[in-house]
Amino acid sequence: MHRYIWLIPLLPLAGAALNGLLGRKFRFSEKLIGGIAVGSIALSFLLSLTAVYSYAFSSHAIWPAAYVTSQDGASFTWIPGGAVNITQGSEERMSGAMEEESRRKLAEIPPEQRTNPQAILVSGVVQPRSSILNVEWSYQLDALSSIFMLVVTGVGLCIFVFATGYMHDDPGFYRFFAYMGLFMFSMLVLVMGSNFLMMFVGWEGVGLCSYLLIGYYFNRKEAADASRKAFLTNRIGDFGFALAIFAVIATFGTAQYTDVFVQAKSYPIEGLWQWGILSWIALGLFVGACGKSAQLPLHVWLPDAMAGPTPVSALIHAATMVTAGLYMVTRTNVIFQHSKTMMLVVALVGAATALFAATIGITQNDIKKVLAYSTVSQLGFMFMACGVGAFVIGIFHVMTHAFFKALMFLGAGSVIHGMHHEQDMRRMGGLKKYMPYTYMTFLAGWLAICGIIPFSGFWSKDEILWNAASTSYIPLGWLVWVVGVIAATCTAFYMTRLVAMTFWGKERFLNTHEHDAGHEAHGDGTSGHHAHVPHESPGSMVAPLVVLAVLATLGGLVGIGPAFKFITGSDHPGGRMNIVNFMDPIIWNPETREFGKEHGAATVAHAAETTAPAETHARAEVPTPGSESAGHPEGFNLAHSAESALGTHTRAEWLFIVISLVIAAVGILLAVLFYVWRPSLPDIWAARLKPLYIASYNKYWVDEIYGWAITRRTMDLARAVYAFDAKVIDGAVNGSAWVTRLASRITGGTDQYFVDGLVNAIAAFILRLMSPLFRAAQTGFTQNYALVMVMGLVAVVALFFAADIIDAVKAITTGT
Amino acid sequence: MLGLFAPIFAFLIQQADVGRGSLMWQSARNPDLSKFLVIGALLFIIGVAGVLTRRNIIVIFMSIELILNAANLNFIAFSRYLQDTGSVNAVAGQVFAVFVIVVAAAEAAIGLGIVIALYRNKETIWVDEIDILKW
Repeated sequence: MHRYIWLIPLLPLAGAALNGLLGRKFRFSEKLIGGIAVGSIALSFLLSLTAVYSYAFSSHAIWPAAYVTSQDGASFTWIPGGAVNITQGSEERMSGAMEEESRRKLAEIPPEQRTNPQAILVSGVVQPRSSILNVEWSYQLDALSSIFMLVVTGVGLCIFVFATGYMHDDPGFYRFFAYMGLFMFSMLVLVMGSNFLMMFVGWEGVGLCSYLLIGYYFNRKEAADASRKAFLTNRIGDFGFALAIFAVIATFGTAQYTDVFVQAKSYPIEGLWQWGILSWIALGLFVGACGKSAQLPLHVWLPDAMAGPTPVSALIHAATMVTAGLYMVTRTNVIFQHSKTMMLVVALVGAATALFAATIGITQNDIKKVLAYSTVSQLGFMFMACGVGAFVIGIFHVMTHAFFKALMFLGAGSVIHGMHHEQDMRRMGGLKKYMPYTYMTFLAGWLAICGIIPFSGFWSKDEILWNAASTSYIPLGWLVWVVGVIAATCTAFYMTRLVAMTFWGKERFLNTHEHDAGHEAHGDGTSGHHAHVPHESPGSMVAPLVVLAVLATLGGLVGIGPAFKFITGSDHPGGRMNIVNFMDPIIWNPETREFGKEHGAATVAHAAETTAPAETHARAEVPTPGSESAGHPEGFNLAHSAESALGTHTRAEWLFIVISLVIAAVGILLAVLFYVWRPSLPDIWAARLKPLYIASYNKYWVDEIYGWAITRRTMDLARAVYAFDAKVIDGAVNGSAWVTRLASRITGGTDQYFVDGLVNAIAAFILRLMSPLFRAAQTGFTQNYALVMVMGLVAVVALFFAADIIDAVKAITTGT
Repeated sequence: MLGLFAPIFAFLIQQADVGRGSLMWQSARNPDLSKFLVIGALLFIIGVAGVLTRRNIIVIFMSIELILNAANLNFIAFSRYLQDTGSVNAVAGQVFAVFVIVVAAAEAAIGLGIVIALYRNKETIWVDEIDILKW
């Protein structure tokens, strides 16, 4: 079935085209629009399921290898690029051994299967200075794109179903689903494309759809502003991404993933503060990831993006699009792992973002804003994981986060729907009585994000923190861990606060509108007989919540870590069903310099366990000779200190699990204390920590700083440029026009007075001179005219007979 | 003006000198072509001089008749000459002369009509008082 993966992006596109192009003209009913949209996504999801099953789990699975549709001809040459000069000297880096190796590898491939990548590999060896760049449009199915396909279509399906209920009675129903379908298409192209340029197309496509959907309520100013802000902020990231793609093409002569990574494998690893070409490429890619995934310098757009409809926030700004940065970093993990600098940067930016956003989330009152900052914070966690080398764990967190954050966003949407578009948590409270299903499902998401043990968030977040503590990829792992722990505590705190303010406690919406609602509202909350009494959402909105709640609860089981070996019996139980094993083939191992076979972080994490001879663990303590990547960076490593203090590796890991559970509990209990048991405490502490509170409440004034430092300066620059244009450019133009006018006046005067004067004078002179003659000739007397005629006649005759006359005269005069 | 006619006189004198005595007589009785042409030319010149010099429009008219008759004389002279040489078409000159006479008669009728109309309008037949051709 994996042969038909090219259909997966096309189905949502077809649905979007149908809805968007015909929906308005033929006045499709909401049922038809919803049916088309949900149906196309459901088909995509089923196709994805069958494709992934057939790719990785069926009897004819080709799992460790990547499947590219061009193998079956389901592709076309998209950009026939022609020859490319490889500007980065690859021939120096290609040792003789490598050349031999690539020749040997090529010989192994049967000639009919030799496609673009291999040909370029050889041409790279033989002719290292140029290469043929033919970008093909083909889809790649491998472990990474499998997971993203399933998450995007699966979570997307839930959100589409939810949206049919949430967007009920919206005049732009068809438009909404057309944009959503277009988004699904772009996102699937992004994660399924087989080269950097297709990823870029999807990248820009999701950016466009994000813009369109944030500004869906375009008649509201804040939505229109937010959509522009998102678009412009993303442009900065896209600029870096585009530069990185150019650098990739200039370095490797191709944009195809498989080809690029095969070449990149053999580059030397660039150490800390050593800026080789791969570091620059990684930097550009990471700038792009920062823009799309709302990391620290470019995070400002995501909270504002909440101006869009809530399903959009759930789908685009929580579950799928914002994780595109993670997809990219993981996809290009070879390049990132070649640059120790960029790994450190990724980890530190991720950690900083996680803490930064989590502290802002504590003080926000808008339910969607809290979730938005929570998303930024969780994305920070994911980048933290990538930065410390645990790419798989980052993707694992992408998956679990997609489940629980989509769940919570949809839950928030359900609350907003039930509260009649009230988003301020201060006017909520006690909703569990009115919205029991929403409440129960929300609890699952809450426990998952806090990191309570069987829920999905626990498995991924704990692994991230453990990998941060035990990393051998970067120095300062302990710092990343400490920041992560604080951020996780904040996460538990603000999420509990959100649940407490929304679902528990007093019904503040009744206090606010007491004279309206009266006491009848206490009777049957679900009947919705008054505008301000919340009601439970319809089945089309509750059903996706239930599905996502199940996923958020159990979804983490695909990534149970090695600490639970005494129960599960293996480090990563479940074989290919375990995400760590499943994704292993796409992760580059800097020690073996090959893909897969227990990537580096896992290796290091398990290095202390010598009781696993079946696994091919390289010993982290013994650096491989000749390899710069192996061995610990200088400095303090938390996990190893813990290991040496506690004796065994498993005990150290359990220590960290206990720590992460304790911090979650501390966060939850603090929030319960603040918002349930002693509701007066928040005000007291806000007053005590007033500077911190104000800073967090105002989001550290980042918007204001940007507004002052960038927007104002840009406008100043624009004004200066305008002034320059008005004064200098226009002045020059006007000045030259003035000069031209002056010159024309001079030449005009010259022409008028001198040339015309001369002509007139001469004409007049001639006229004056000659006219008497001509006038005198015209006597009017017939005889004068006749005389002239006769004289003319005589003259003609005289001329005609001139010779005869002369002869006659001569004869007469000589007398002969 | 006299200088212009001097060769013609000289020519006539020369012819007269050649045929002294009987030859002269003979040539007067049987004049050759050149005699007629000279007479015609003289008639023409007299006519032209009359047209150019006389003020009375009737006299100018008569001078024009002289010019026409000079032409007629030439036609007849050539006709006679061609008849002597035995040409088949010798009578054409005489026919032309008759044509000219007819046209001259018509012209005289129209011309005199114009003169009468002119006189009625301008009260004069002196051509140096009639300069309306320049308008």
